[in-house]
Amino acid sequence: MSEHKIFGQDIYWANFIGLMVLTAIEVVAVGSEFSKAMTLFILVGIAIPKFIMIAAIFMHLWGDKDSKILTLTALFPTFFIIVMVLFIGLTHPEATTGLPEWCRPGYYKL
Amino acid sequence: MSGDYHGDDDHEHQSAWGPHDWSHGAPHNSWAPIIMSIGIGIFLYTVASAYSWGEMVDPSSIPLIFLGLTISFFGMIIWWRQDASFDGIYEPRATGTPFQNIQIRKVAMWMFLMSEMMVFTSLFSTYMRYRLGLTPCVEIYESGSWIVNSQTIDSGEAVNCFLPASELIASSWFHIAPGAINTFALIISSFTIVQALRWAKKPVGSVDEEVRRKRVYRYLGSTWILAIIFLTLKMVEWFVGFYIPEIGFLGLHEHDIVSLVNEGYTIHADHYHPHHGWEDTHLAELAAANPSEFEEYFANIASIEGGYVTTDAVMMADIRVSTSTFFVTTGTHGAHVFIGIIGLTYMTWKAWTGGYTPQNAVSIEYFGLYWHFVDLIWVLVFPFFYLY
Repeated sequence: MSEHKIFGQDIYWANFIGLMVLTAIEVVAVGSEFSKAMTLFILVGIAIPKFIMIAAIFMHLWGDKDSKILTLTALFPTFFIIVMVLFIGLTHPEATTGLPEWCRPGYYKL
Repeated sequence: MSGDYHGDDDHEHQSAWGPHDWSHGAPHNSWAPIIMSIGIGIFLYTVASAYSWGEMVDPSSIPLIFLGLTISFFGMIIWWRQDASFDGIYEPRATGTPFQNIQIRKVAMWMFLMSEMMVFTSLFSTYMRYRLGLTPCVEIYESGSWIVNSQTIDSGEAVNCFLPASELIASSWFHIAPGAINTFALIISSFTIVQALRWAKKPVGSVDEEVRRKRVYRYLGSTWILAIIFLTLKMVEWFVGFYIPEIGFLGLHEHDIVSLVNEGYTIHADHYHPHHGWEDTHLAELAAANPSEFEEYFANIASIEGGYVTTDAVMMADIRVSTSTFFVTTGTHGAHVFIGIIGLTYMTWKAWTGGYTPQNAVSIEYFGLYWHFVDLIWVLVFPFFYLY
């Protein structure tokens, strides 16, 4: 029998406060005079723990009896995501300049 | 706290729309999803037929648009009437591997979220492709190549370049405010919905039922309000803008924060005029390194003052790809928030009538999974579309 893990209030509060603080850091980092690369590094560095905190605590993927199979289910599309990001997002040549006419803005204008 | 397991015993469960046959593996049989799918299908098809690039091209489709919405709404009413009588006692569980003994609705929700992840990944990979593949507008502006190529307001030719929305949104604290407040609103709403679940799950006898009812509907209602705030601020950011009054002691001067659309950041922007304080430093370097070339191309339209080039020429940019990726991705996310509001409207009403008990509180958990997913997506959308 599976169970729904309901954490005590403290862990929800701690998670909530943590997410608020990380978001505040994110906004302040953009307002600061960092280089583009440093800003990107900070934003990625903050987005990852925020993502994990929401999935693990609020979505109950951590500590739940079913968490292993549900985490695997959630991670299942990772392969396809990697394929999409690597082969569409990053490497496809001429994706922006070599689009066929039917795929360009204005083609369907009547 | 553990969930209560109740087997799928032979049982006739009376609902407002007839009995559910719990004995033949059809625990919550309903026409509602099929009816809603047909309605949404008609709606999407006719909207796509009626509009082209924001212009109404086929007014005859309008009755069909409303027909689709009406059918969807009818399906929703059926679903809600059935669910209103659903006491949650007969929560069916999967029997096959790998999800054996896990609630079927929970597995289904995770499967749905998986497919949603694919949708947003395709949007993100599109954004990455164009952001990395097209030259940034600021780079072209600073290089001065647009002057050489006569891509100016006078010539009518436009440079095809990428202008991320963050160039406008992250240009001041006031511009960034709606997006930042929305981020906090979504995080708070994730917190309020887990609190609603927590109170609904408290075992019978451990809490007064009236206190449970109030807590659950207040937390769900708070989530609803935060979702409304999110979409309202989104509209302000996209279409309306806002006014900053003169507040001397804070050092604020009276001015308007212009919305993205009024700024000209639209999907039609094939002749956008970027004007956000970019400096022609590269052109100045060119003038210093190669005075004869500068003289040949630029001297009649530009001059150097204090190390910077000033010019009366106005660069024009085709930013339709930039704006499309921004509006489609953030709009898809906004549509998910809107769908969440529809669900929350019903759930808040159900909670107000005392409809949630520890037995059926899993419904809040399943909706919560969706809502947290919407929050998760925003965790990625906000930094990469609004800040960077």
